Amino acid sequence: MTADAAYTVVFYALAAVVVALALVVVNARHLLRAAVSLMGVLAASAGLYVMLAAEFIAGVQVLVYVGGIVVVIVFAITLTSSTDLLEDNPSLRRKVLGGASSIGFMVLTIAALAVMPVPPQAAAKPTADTVGAIGAKLLDPGPRGYVLAFEVISLLLLAAIIGGIVIARRNAPPARAPFGRSAPVGQAGATQEAQRP
Amino acid sequence: MIDYLASHPPGLTHWLMLTTVLFSIGLYGLMSRRNAIGVLMAVELMLNSAALNFVIFNHLLWPGGVDGLTMSLFIIAVAAAEVVVGMAIFVAIYRSRGTVDVNKMDSLNG
Repeated sequence: MTADAAYTVVFYALAAVVVALALVVVNARHLLRAAVSLMGVLAASAGLYVMLAAEFIAGVQVLVYVGGIVVVIVFAITLTSSTDLLEDNPSLRRKVLGGASSIGFMVLTIAALAVMPVPPQAAAKPTADTVGAIGAKLLDPGPRGYVLAFEVISLLLLAAIIGGIVIARRNAPPARAPFGRSAPVGQAGATQEAQRP
Repeated sequence: MIDYLASHPPGLTHWLMLTTVLFSIGLYGLMSRRNAIGVLMAVELMLNSAALNFVIFNHLLWPGGVDGLTMSLFIIAVAAAEVVVGMAIFVAIYRSRGTVDVNKMDSLNG
């Protein structure tokens, strides 16, 4: 009884924290403040994951989002900071446009949720060994497994790592062969043709 | 008081309304921010609410399975990749153009 009441209280408290910090994320004029609020949103979302009996996802959320993504965002803010960039002050037209579209989306979706017939809560027992089940699911080559998506994600992460390094590198090394840019393309091809016996 | 709270646990509709509000806030940030990094942070909010939705459906509608948890793992991985590449692009753009204002990134706008 008391545990159920505490569950409800914690849900509404975490929801209030998440929504308030999310409003700070999109409205703060200092981007660093927005980044810190984003960290708070993601940490509170980890709490919501725990409430949904997804402790492993909560751990991944803290490790990847709070520990990784927010740090990358803070680095990017400091690397691109300048006087006119640190202050993000949107024009009134953008605010009105964004507010109208987001409030319209919210009203439509909440109205749809309110008239939605609530499906009955499943009576199945939650899986006890969630981590083991997720691991088996990720590497299951069967029709209900996700091994292909798992491999594609690993390739995607590799491509993101290499792409991030290449794009953000300060000085690109000078190309060894300038791809025939020293002469017009047709001319270079013509000389090669002429030299060929 | 405790009886009332215990007999009114958050149901599926409450959880989904929470993620809807989060997604709408992210949408507002996406459309109103001028700084590209602010836009990316708003996208992170939206991705986070989508991942939360998967876990909510998994927990409340099919607690025996782990497909929703797997999907939110994939969402987190894709979000990490997206942030890495996006930040690299923004840093490179800042070096060459001196700004990350999305209004001024119009080189491809013929």
